[in-house]
Amino acid sequence: MAKEKLYPFHVTILTYMTQTGVVMLSLPRILAENFGYNGWMALIGLSGIAALNIFIISLVYRLGKGKSIFQIMEMSLPKFVLYPLYSFIACIWAVTGCIVAKNYVSIFQMISFNTTHVMLLKIMVDILVYFLVIKGIYNISKALTSFYWVTSWMYLILFFYFKDFEWARMTPFFFSGETHFVEGSMSVFTSFIGYELSLLLFPYVEKGKKFMRAVQIGNLLTTLTYIIICFICFGFYSFEQLKLMVYPMLDLLSYIKLPFIERIDNLLFAFFLFTTVSTIAMYIWASQEIVKRMIPKAKVKVIVILIIMAVFFIAWIPDTIPEIGEWLQYLGYTDTVIAFGLPLMLIAILLVNKRARQ
Amino acid sequence: MALSKSEDNMDNMKPTLQHTLEEFKDCADILHRTLPETGIDMVFFEHLVGSDQFTRDVAIPFMDANGDDVKRLLNRSQYEEMNTNKPFIKAILEGAVAIFHNDRSYVVYVSKPEARSIQQSETEAIITGPHDSFNEVAEINMSLIRRRVKSSHLKSILLEVGEVTKTRVYVLYLDDLANMEYVNELQSRIEKIEIDSVLDGNMLVQYIDDFPNSIFPLIPTTERVDAAVSRLVAGRIIVVVDGSPSVISAPASFFEFFSSPDDYYQRWMLGTATRLLRFIAFIITVTFTAMYVSVTTFHYEMIPEDLLLTLTESRSRVPFPPIYEALLLEATIELLREAGARLPTKIGQTIGIVGGIVIGQAAVQAGLTSNILIIAVASSAIASFVIPSYVMSASIRLIRFGLIILASVLGNLGLMMGIVMVIIHLAGLTSLKASYLTPIAPMNVKDWRDVFIRSPFAWLKERPSMSKSPNMRRNKMKQ
Amino acid sequence: MIPLRKKALLLQLFAALLVLSGCGDEKILERLGFIHTAGYELVPAENSGEPDKLRVTIAVPKADPEGKIKRETMTAVVATSKEARIELSRQTELSLVSGQLRSTLFGAALARKGIGEHIDTFVRDPAISQRVKITVVNGNVQHLLNKRYAEHPRPGQYIDRMLDKEAEAMMIPNVTLYDFTRDYYDDGIDAVAPIIREKGKDITIDGIALFQGDRYVARIDPDDSLIFAILRQNFKRGEMSINLNSLGYGKEKLLFSSMVSSRKIKVNRGENGGLSVQIRMLVKGSVLEYVGDLKIGEEEDRHKLEKRIAEYLTSNAQKMIDAMQRHKADSIGIGKHVRNSMSYTEWKSTNWDELYPNIEVRCSTEVVIKNFGKFM
Repeated sequence: MAKEKLYPFHVTILTYMTQTGVVMLSLPRILAENFGYNGWMALIGLSGIAALNIFIISLVYRLGKGKSIFQIMEMSLPKFVLYPLYSFIACIWAVTGCIVAKNYVSIFQMISFNTTHVMLLKIMVDILVYFLVIKGIYNISKALTSFYWVTSWMYLILFFYFKDFEWARMTPFFFSGETHFVEGSMSVFTSFIGYELSLLLFPYVEKGKKFMRAVQIGNLLTTLTYIIICFICFGFYSFEQLKLMVYPMLDLLSYIKLPFIERIDNLLFAFFLFTTVSTIAMYIWASQEIVKRMIPKAKVKVIVILIIMAVFFIAWIPDTIPEIGEWLQYLGYTDTVIAFGLPLMLIAILLVNKRARQ
Repeated sequence: MALSKSEDNMDNMKPTLQHTLEEFKDCADILHRTLPETGIDMVFFEHLVGSDQFTRDVAIPFMDANGDDVKRLLNRSQYEEMNTNKPFIKAILEGAVAIFHNDRSYVVYVSKPEARSIQQSETEAIITGPHDSFNEVAEINMSLIRRRVKSSHLKSILLEVGEVTKTRVYVLYLDDLANMEYVNELQSRIEKIEIDSVLDGNMLVQYIDDFPNSIFPLIPTTERVDAAVSRLVAGRIIVVVDGSPSVISAPASFFEFFSSPDDYYQRWMLGTATRLLRFIAFIITVTFTAMYVSVTTFHYEMIPEDLLLTLTESRSRVPFPPIYEALLLEATIELLREAGARLPTKIGQTIGIVGGIVIGQAAVQAGLTSNILIIAVASSAIASFVIPSYVMSASIRLIRFGLIILASVLGNLGLMMGIVMVIIHLAGLTSLKASYLTPIAPMNVKDWRDVFIRSPFAWLKERPSMSKSPNMRRNKMKQ
Repeated sequence: MIPLRKKALLLQLFAALLVLSGCGDEKILERLGFIHTAGYELVPAENSGEPDKLRVTIAVPKADPEGKIKRETMTAVVATSKEARIELSRQTELSLVSGQLRSTLFGAALARKGIGEHIDTFVRDPAISQRVKITVVNGNVQHLLNKRYAEHPRPGQYIDRMLDKEAEAMMIPNVTLYDFTRDYYDDGIDAVAPIIREKGKDITIDGIALFQGDRYVARIDPDDSLIFAILRQNFKRGEMSINLNSLGYGKEKLLFSSMVSSRKIKVNRGENGGLSVQIRMLVKGSVLEYVGDLKIGEEEDRHKLEKRIAEYLTSNAQKMIDAMQRHKADSIGIGKHVRNSMSYTEWKSTNWDELYPNIEVRCSTEVVIKNFGKFM
C-alpha cells in the first residue's frame, strides 16, 4: 500500500497541538503585565505576525516545489557550514521540548506531588514521548488528532464563567497602564511558536496548496483558543488581580464545581498532559529528523533515546519554576529567531540557485 | 524416516492400493473392503462416511454389478478419477470412499460430515433480528452466507491452513466492492502461516494480525451471519475457517468493536442511544476504579462535601491502602466472571449469588473494602459487559488494571499518563495496514454517522472510508 | 520488531513507578483531617506593649463509624497564621489538609485590622479552592465553632449551608475567595462579606460587612440587606418585607416577593467637570401579603403602592449610599462605572478613594408589581 501522507486536517491539528500547551496557564497574566488593560487584544496582532511567518514558510514550500528543507540547504551550502547549523537547531528544538516537559511536571509537582522528585515525573513523560516519537510522523499525527478530540470538550468549560463574567471589568482602556510592548510581544509571541516545525513536514504532506493553508488554520485555532481564554480572564478577574496571579487559568479551572466532582481543576490540569506531550513530541521529532539527516545510518529509536537522554540531563539544570520560566523564555526567543531566520535563509538559497541556473 | 524421504516423489505418483494402505498403516479406523468378483477395492474411514448412504449408493450397486456395470458405474459423474497421490489421500481424509479398479483409482463422496445444528449464538445474542449463527462446518457457514448474498459477485478463495490439520479456509469478498489490495494482503498472510494446526477463527486472527503483541483485537470475529454479511457488503473481506463458528472480518477499526447488528434493527434514535451508551460504558470501565484509587489516594479535594464523610467513614474501616483494596475487589470480580463463564448456567447463578451477596456484603461488613468501591467496581464490571465484542471487553478490562496501578502511584497524572499511553499505542496500530483509529485518525467526519451514532438509513448511503471500496455508494453493484 | 524492546521499556517504566510509589505524597483519605471551617480572631495581648495574638480555630468533621463524634475543633493561639498550622497539627492524629476548606471566619476585630495577609495565604495555596467562603463573625469565633448546637452537630457545615441559602435569597452577597480577591484588587469596587453571630442556640446572619481595602469599616443591617443587594447587582430572586411606616403612610406593611431587580449606574459630567452618579433601579415583584388601606386589586391603588415602595427603596438606598460614602467604602462598584466613563490618564490622575465620598450620587427607583396573588 502506498505510503500514507498527512492530510490537511492533521496538519492543522499538529500545528495547534504543538503551539498550545502549558503557556496557556500564565498567558493572561503575561498579557496583563505587558500590555495593560485589555491586553488580550495584543494576541490578534501577534497572531498576525505568526501568520506572516507561516506565509514566509509557505513561500519556501512553493519555491522549493515541496523539496525538503535539507535538500534545499544541501543544494548550495557545504557540509561544514550545514552541520553546525543543523546541530544548533536540533539542540534548541530538543531542549525546548524537554524544558516544556519540565515546566509541566514542575507545576504538577507544586499542585499535588510536593515531595516527589520532579525528574522522576519527567522520566514518565519522557517515556510517553519516546513511544510517541518512534512511531513516526504519520502515527504522531494520528495520536495528536485523538488527543485533540479527547481534550476538545474542554471548551465547554467556558460556559461556567458566564455568570461571573462582567463587561464593566474589561474597562474601556486599551493597552494602558504599565506596559512593556517590546518585551511583552517577544514573550507572548513564544506562545505561538510551534508552527515553524511545519518546515519539516514538506516531504510528508500531500502536495498542494492545502498544506500551508492547514498550518494557517492551525495557527488561527490556537489564536482563537488563546483569545477566548484570555478574554474570559480579563472579564472574570479584576485587572490588578490578574497581574498578581501566576497561573490565572489554573485558578479559573479551580473555580468550577460540578455536583459530583468538586475541584475539577486537578483532573483538568492532568488533561493538559495531552497538549504538553504533543508539544514535546513534535520538538523531539523535529530534532530527530535533523539528527537523522546528519547521520543517515543511525536507527530512529537510537536517535530518539539519545536525544531524550541528553536533554533529560539538561533539564536537570533549571530547578525552580522561575528559572524554568526564564529558560523557556530564552529558548522561545531562539525559536522565534529560527522560525523567521530559517525560512528566510531557505528563500535566499532558492533564489540564488534559481538565478544561477538561469 | 523412510516415508518422509519418499514423500516428495510419491505425492505425484499414481495412487495405488498398496501405497494407500501403507499411508494409513496404523490407523485402526481405516476400512478396506474387497469385492473379488468385480476386482474392486474400497478404502475409507467408516465414521467419515455415512454408512447407510454408503451401503445404498456404493456398496450394493458394486456388489450386484458385473464387469461392464462397474465401468458404467465408475463413469458416473460423482466418481472422480484421481491421477496423483496427494489429492487422493486428502480426499480420503475428507471423507471420500476410495475405489481401486484395474490400476485406476476413483473417489466418491457419499455423505456430508455430521454437524451441530444451526443455533442461536450464545456469545453474541441479540433481541431482535435473525437468530441463526454459524456452526463448525465451513460449508454450512458458506451456505448461510450465500443464501443471504445472492450475487455472483460473492467470490471465494479456498486456502488451506495447518500443516497437519489441513484446515479449509475460505476467503470471501464481493467483487467490485472489496478493495483487492486487502484481499491479496489477507490471502498472502494466510498462505504464509506455518503452523501445525489452526483450530479456531480467533486463533487464525492472531496469525494474520498486524500487531500480534498488541493488547487490542485488531480483527473482529463474529458468530452472527447477519454481522458477517453486513461487513461483506460494507466492502470488508470475511474469512470462514472450517471447524470454527467464528468468522473473521477485516479490516476493522477500534470503534467497530462497539457496534452490534441490532443497532440497525432498531429505530435509529434507539440505535444511536445504545451506541453512545456503549462508549460511555467504555469510559466507565476504563476509568471508574482508577478514579476511585486516584481520588482516595491523592486528590481528596475532588470529593464533594456530602460524599466526603460517607467515603471516609467506609474507608476508615479498611485496613489497607486504596490500591490493594481496589485490586482485591477487581480480582474477585474477575474470578467470579471467569468461574461463571466456565460453569453451566444453573451453577453460574449460584456463583452470582455467592459473589454478589455473600462476598460483596461480607467484604464491606468485615471491613475489607469500602462500599463505594464496591459500587465503582461493580459498575465498571457491568459496563464492561455492555461492549458487544467479548475479546474487546476482555482487553479493556486488562487495561483497567494498568490504569489502577498508575493511578495509585501518580493519581490523576498517572491515570492520564495511562490514557495517553493507550492512545499512543492505538494510534500506531493498523488492521490489515488500515489505520485502526479510523475515522478519528485519519479524520473522516462522514464516517462518524455510522460510528458514534447510528444515523437514519437515508444518511447511510456510503460505505465506510476504511473499506477503500472502489464502489463507495451503497447501491447497485455497478454504478 | 517492536515487541521485545517495548516490553523491556515497559518494565523499566514499571520499575520506575515502583520506586516512586515509596514517596510520601499520598494523601490517603482516612488519614486526613479535612479542615472544613477555619476561624481567625484577635486575642488582645495580656501585657500592653506586646502585639496582639491570633487565635485560630478549625473545625474538622469526623467520620466516626459509631456515629457519636461528628466533628473536632482545635484551637491554637499564635503570633502568625502560618504558625497555626504547625501548632494545630500537634493536636491531632490526622494530617490536616486544607483542600476541603469551605469557609473561613474572621473575628470582627481582626477584620477591622485587615485580613489581607490571610487572603494572601489562601490564594497562594493551590490546595485551597476559589470557592471558600469569607465571613465576618460578630463575637467570639472560637466559641461559635466550639459550641454544641443541639440541632446542628457540625457547626461548620451548618454555617456553610446557611450562607448558601441566604445568598440564594439575596439576603447576603455570596462572597467566596474569588469574589473577595477580585473586588479587593479591583480599583473600582470594594469587597464585602456577610456577618454572622451566635443567637441563643442557633447562629444567625448579622448583616453585611463593608470593606475598604482589606479592612472592615462598616456594617449593613440585615433588614437593609436587600436594598444593598439591589444596589450592588442584578438579581432574579429575592424577598423583602417593607414597612412603609417610616414614610408616614400609616401602618402599612407588605411582603414584596419574587423580586427581579436590575440597576443601572450612569455617570454624568457636570459643566465644571464635577461628577455626579445616577443609580436607576428597576424592581419587579409580586405582593402576596399586604396590610394597609389600599386595595391592591385595583389598578390605581396598585400604582400608588408602587410609588410608595419606590419612595421607600429610594430613600433607604440614598441613606445607605450616604453611609457608604462616609465610610469611604465603594461597595456597590460606582468606581467601576466612573472608571469606564473616563480615559485612562484621567482615571490614573484621580484619586478615587478621595473623590468617592464627595461625589453626588442620586438614586431613583421604579417598582412594578407584577401580580398580587390569586385574590382581589
